[in-house]
Amino acid sequence: MELELRYFAMVREAVGERTTTREFDPETTVRDVLATLENDHPDLEGTLLADDGTIARSVTVLRNGTNVTHLERGATELADGDTLSITPPVTGG
Amino acid sequence: MSETLPSVYGGEILHVHLGTGDSEIESIDPRDARRFLGGNGFVAKQVAEHVPADADPFDPENVLALAVGPMNATPFQSTSRGVVGFVSPMTNGFFDSTFGGTLPQALKTTGFEVVVLHGTAEEHSYVLIDEDGAEVKSADGLEGTETYETCQEIREREDVGYDTHVLANGPAGENQVRYACLVHESKMREGVAGRGGAGAVLGSKNVKAIAVQGGDFQPEPAGDLQGRAVQQMGRLMDETEMLQEYGTAGLVNPINEMGKLGHRNMQTEQADAEDAEAVSGETLREEYVTEDTTCSNCAVKCGKHVSVEAEGITEGKIPEFESLFGTATLQEVYDPERVIKANDLCDRLGMDTISWGVTVAFARECYEKGLLDDDDSPHLEFGDADGLVELARQTAEREDFGDDLAEGSFRLAESLDDEAERYLYGAKGLEFAAHSARGLKGMSIGYATATRGGSHHDTRPTLQYDGNHDETTEGTPEFAARTQHFTALGDSLTQCRFVSEAGWGARVNERYAEAISLATGWELSTEDVEAIGERIYNVERLINVARGVADRGTDTLPHRTMHEPIPDGPSEGMYCPPEELEGMLDEYYEFRGWNDNGHPTTDTVDRLDLADVAESVAD
Ligand code: SF4
Repeated sequence: MELELRYFAMVREAVGERTTTREFDPETTVRDVLATLENDHPDLEGTLLADDGTIARSVTVLRNGTNVTHLERGATELADGDTLSITPPVTGG
Repeated sequence: MSETLPSVYGGEILHVHLGTGDSEIESIDPRDARRFLGGNGFVAKQVAEHVPADADPFDPENVLALAVGPMNATPFQSTSRGVVGFVSPMTNGFFDSTFGGTLPQALKTTGFEVVVLHGTAEEHSYVLIDEDGAEVKSADGLEGTETYETCQEIREREDVGYDTHVLANGPAGENQVRYACLVHESKMREGVAGRGGAGAVLGSKNVKAIAVQGGDFQPEPAGDLQGRAVQQMGRLMDETEMLQEYGTAGLVNPINEMGKLGHRNMQTEQADAEDAEAVSGETLREEYVTEDTTCSNCAVKCGKHVSVEAEGITEGKIPEFESLFGTATLQEVYDPERVIKANDLCDRLGMDTISWGVTVAFARECYEKGLLDDDDSPHLEFGDADGLVELARQTAEREDFGDDLAEGSFRLAESLDDEAERYLYGAKGLEFAAHSARGLKGMSIGYATATRGGSHHDTRPTLQYDGNHDETTEGTPEFAARTQHFTALGDSLTQCRFVSEAGWGARVNERYAEAISLATGWELSTEDVEAIGERIYNVERLINVARGVADRGTDTLPHRTMHEPIPDGPSEGMYCPPEELEGMLDEYYEFRGWNDNGHPTTDTVDRLDLADVAESVAD
């Protein structure tokens, strides 16, 4: 299935692109995508996933604009056509 | 045994009578230090004591109180902000507004924790403060000068370079634009006391600026604050990386992705991704940022300077996230250079970019709906970037339609057809900040009950963006109230919110209790320090109740927030219908110990040791 990945701020700096569209296996989870990105981009290592496999404090992940804390967090299963936005934590300005 | 004042306090309050130029010094009562801590707590106490409940914000009886906090100029990072307190020309209620830069730390070293300006100066003046007291000096020749220019001119007159720290009014404050702000241009970073109209109040006092020259006082913490501060640094720096790199402008893209960023005067809450990108922190950093800037005693350096050659801007202040909401997405203006220009003008002319931006966006919708036309102003179409810049100038000068914009959106609505009320976005007379009143439930009840109306520094949105109390009303009134305690406590410490939320935590917790105990020598629990925040919030409420601007009727939300769900995007369907707000208000009042009309009960006043304040505000 195809996912659109959008990167912001330091995540974008590490990846070197604003967005990518990539193929993933069916039943791919948010955690799988983050692990793939850490694997592909050494600068991201340890910034997306914590040691216990949960989403790191230093990142906020949105699935189609919804914070995955409202879904199944790292275990959220993704569907074809989903957009995943990956950004540093959002604060109050 | 009588209590002594901890040695982190300079110990004195300086009262300046502008009409005569006389000053008097009052010692800080140690009991007040324990009850109100400093900063916001101290200025609220001054307003409660000195401003009669029926005084108009532009009456000489209004005061402008400037204060610092107990940990200012100590090793603790980012506790060196200042706060001004006054009755606001926007809300007619108590208002406090904080600012960074170097002036607050200089004030701390004079030994004056609070400076209170009373009355009105006979001639156009500035007030110079040093450790010996205050002098009211002629501001002859500074009529109509811009804020940065005023800071520079006063520095030259005082002839000690950047050792004179200046907080200045621009033309907007002199012209009593109701949301005129105060701007501090220092060697390291600009600071803006942005909201509520501090500049308009200072203008009504015939005062162009407050200038401070530091002294020899050095606060002495009771415990090892240095050691604790060092422990805190790692977490602080890790969690503020986005601020360090992008400033608050880095929030534009992610909040737009969530569908919670007001667009076209809140008709929708998501801009096209390409449009948001054009005014995002990422774009500003790549195209325009030239250097980082910082407040005293802060390693985060969230400030940035921008240069835009085509607009003739060098070393301009980067627009904050809130300003990008007010002056870009709400207007549908996505030309970053024109947006930076409009923001630079607001800074130079001395206007709050949030209230001004929301007011202009409101006028644009009124124009779109036929309630205003080209005879009112030819600059009111959504997307008109040149009009945005021209309207900033007109507003500060109160020229043409700028004279209407200078009154703020609520007063402008009163002069139009009733339908205009449907397009307002604010509460208690103050326009809302960028954090969605519809898309974040905690902000719905938080804004409705905010002392300052549309302030995002009463209830905080930060935890809501992480999925707490953004979508549910369950437990949300208590959450909103407790983050109000958190912000009141933080502003009494004059601590930078960005740093406190990231480095210390976005709720009152043991880290705050420990640090305040180390600073003061008092042994305070987490409950004790949260009670300080609660007490201050109740002082503010008591002032506003006495002034007739805080009750169940005014604890409300604008029409669109209560009646029009977000039409599309990830937050589609979210709003706060009246019955939902009423239910949350019931719970909120009960949690606070306020009666059904939102007034603190006698039991609550006694529990918080506020009987004397309740009496003084009623005088
Ligand atoms: S984080 Fe920014 S606003 Fe806060 S103290 Fe540091 S430089 Fe000033």
